[in-house]
Amino acid sequence: MDKIILGRYLPGDSLIYRLDPRGKFLLTFYFVGIVFLANNVASYAFLLAFVLFAVYLSKINLGFFIKGLKPVFWLILFTVVLQLLFTPSSHPIWHWGIFTLSKEGMVIAGYIFMRFILIIFISTLLTLTTTPIEISDSIESILKPLKKVRFPVTQVALMLSIALRFVPLLVDETTKIMDAQRARGVDFGEGGIIKRIKSFVPILIPLFVSSFSIAYDLAIAMESRGYKDGEGRSKYRVLSWSKRDNLMVIFMAAVTIILLFLRSY
Amino acid sequence: MEITFDHVTHSYNPNSPTANLGLDDVSFTIKDKLFTAIVGQTGSGKSTLVRHINALLKPTSGNIKVGERVITSETNNKNLKPLRKQVGMVFQFPENQLFEDTVEKDIMFGPMNFGASEEEARESAHKMIKMVGLDETYLTQSPFDLSGGQMRRVAIAGVLASDPETIILDEPTAGLDPVGRKEIMELFKGLQEEGKTIILITHNMDDVADYADEMAVIHRGKLITEGLPKEVFNNQDLLKEDLLTLPKSAAFAKELSKKGFQFDKLPITIDELGIEIKQQLNGD
Amino acid sequence: MEKIISIKDLNYTYPDAKHPAINNLSLDIYKNEWVSIVGKNGSGKSTLTKLIDGLIEAESGTIAIDGQIINEDNIWEARTKIGIVFQNPDHQFVGATVEDDVAFGLENQGIPRDKMVTEVDEALKLVKMSDFKKRDPQSLSGGQKQRVAIAGVLATKPQIIIMDESTSMLDPDGRRTVLNLVQQLRQEQDLTIISITHDIEETELSQRIVVINDGKIVQDGKPVEIYDLGSNLRKFGLEEPFTNKLISTLGDKLKLPEGYLNEEELKQQLWKLHSIM
Repeated sequence: MDKIILGRYLPGDSLIYRLDPRGKFLLTFYFVGIVFLANNVASYAFLLAFVLFAVYLSKINLGFFIKGLKPVFWLILFTVVLQLLFTPSSHPIWHWGIFTLSKEGMVIAGYIFMRFILIIFISTLLTLTTTPIEISDSIESILKPLKKVRFPVTQVALMLSIALRFVPLLVDETTKIMDAQRARGVDFGEGGIIKRIKSFVPILIPLFVSSFSIAYDLAIAMESRGYKDGEGRSKYRVLSWSKRDNLMVIFMAAVTIILLFLRSY
Repeated sequence: MEITFDHVTHSYNPNSPTANLGLDDVSFTIKDKLFTAIVGQTGSGKSTLVRHINALLKPTSGNIKVGERVITSETNNKNLKPLRKQVGMVFQFPENQLFEDTVEKDIMFGPMNFGASEEEARESAHKMIKMVGLDETYLTQSPFDLSGGQMRRVAIAGVLASDPETIILDEPTAGLDPVGRKEIMELFKGLQEEGKTIILITHNMDDVADYADEMAVIHRGKLITEGLPKEVFNNQDLLKEDLLTLPKSAAFAKELSKKGFQFDKLPITIDELGIEIKQQLNGD
Repeated sequence: MEKIISIKDLNYTYPDAKHPAINNLSLDIYKNEWVSIVGKNGSGKSTLTKLIDGLIEAESGTIAIDGQIINEDNIWEARTKIGIVFQNPDHQFVGATVEDDVAFGLENQGIPRDKMVTEVDEALKLVKMSDFKKRDPQSLSGGQKQRVAIAGVLATKPQIIIMDESTSMLDPDGRRTVLNLVQQLRQEQDLTIISITHDIEETELSQRIVVINDGKIVQDGKPVEIYDLGSNLRKFGLEEPFTNKLISTLGDKLKLPEGYLNEEELKQQLWKLHSIM
């Protein structure tokens, strides 16, 4: 169960941890964008070097990043094999029915594989070094301009942070309810598909009931502590943008320029 | 049914940086047809321990014998139903497990999972609802329309309905008012007198003194001691190390013994204490 | 003595309920008092808390907080004077970390950040949870979570703290620390405490016990007077005090004074009997 928990933050301390989460969040997205600019071996090698350097700066064991590949392993394999066998070519090395193996195919498959690695490593870096609440704060800060068009940014951010806060509690609750029903003779992995789906009813209903009762209790507790409608609130948690965040932006700009240069090389 | 733990160790998240021992080399026997209390601080491993008895958790090493059945790390998830029918489990806040649209159906859920016919399960529901102190009119109601205390009773009825030989209780009276608490404890004591084996996890030392035949103390995943409550509560080492608190009567006797009164062994129930005080005051 | 809460002829019936949850109830609570409100499950105790804080609206009757009768316009002001610690530690923890949770009430009042930082620190110091400032709720015990909840309430400087069965889900250790803390705070901070409870030890710490049954007040007195009710206490959802039970097993032969004795008094009496033997 703990494999699917959002964020998978790993407590630690390093330059990457100390960066402003807004910067990290935006630069991660930016990097995912420029990955698609790479078009030759040199440019991919350069981006990989950059990502590995960032991993090094984070002081997190590379093993955690490789683990991040696990859930999408089959997707990567499928896409790579697809490119390998279906890339049309005028000089096939091997040909059988609809399958074609060629040098171009191998190169494209290699590039696709690299893209996966780069994107997964960099987003794993973000989630490992940034707490969910920092991400939710970043989203709030980034979406702030939308307040002008009456979008309830602060309310949405509070909702998001409460949701994150209650995920572990609901996971616990689910485990407890599952144990209780197993003790009453429910067997989750047994029988045909209908029977399996049916066996989740005794989990889902109690889970809904407890979620609603938690929500009700929480609403009462929040109101008693003076939460009105989200207007006129001040904020305890603040994000601070410092010199090192500026440096990171400049560094990323340099990476982009080098990448553009390598592209046309 | 006799239950024997043989060098049982349970590790949470083994092979990961967050691995921790839930149980550490626990060996002891829970005797057939007795009322055994398991005590220890929050997080000491009591709940981990009892979840091995019906194989909700499996040992990382060692084995557990439940009657004829042996549970090891290799135990398959299939075929656990006979075991779980024999070992009923009332979880903390069991009202959270209710889900059917009527009380009757919810009580019938367990027995029918364990292979009882609809007829037998219904009969059992009618018997159990009375046993937990509610009348049959509740059977047609939705469990979600009941008060918290009534929901608790329905959930307990749902566990008893499968007629388990061993009943595990994980703080079954938490959050109930004193009257409700006493009624529920008397119910379980009564079941023991009818021949069931009862295992109770609790923080309430007065309940241990009043109801248990045997007790075990767990601390940081290890079994510290087990035996008759009167012996365990008179174990000076445990008390000194703050691993155990005394029942009220024993604590009061200890106070009295500071001046004049003398107790060979601290009495643990009010009745014992009363008798001792009377003897020491007028020699009768 | 100055009244801090004054309730007059209060009535409330839950939607779809046949019987009123609060039935023509009147009650005065004085400044710096510790009042225990006891009663069986479903007697209306928790409904009363919600009415006092304006979380539900009474059908008739009035509630005055600090001299002001509460209505829709001034309820938010009245709420700043009252802090409630609820039963389930997990269901009232709003923040992602301890400090965030303590700050929640201050944020709601729009307090500037610099001031919040010092007030959060102070509140955490009062409940002895400063070392846990950055921790998340999953890593805390039930008792620690309730201490954080108390800090969250203290941060907004209320005059009244309502403990709504806030120790009932804690283990004995947690319960003891929370009760000692409340006792200490009442003395240091000039607070009025209302504790809704089944726990006899918790009532022993209070100065007055109000017994509610079927939405009405049936008893109101000092703990000693209430404990004298003997086995009637069970009807009201309270256990008989340990000393009462012990005295009744001792029988009439021993010459003990009439009325309720606490543990200390009973011990002294028994020692006296022992020494004149």
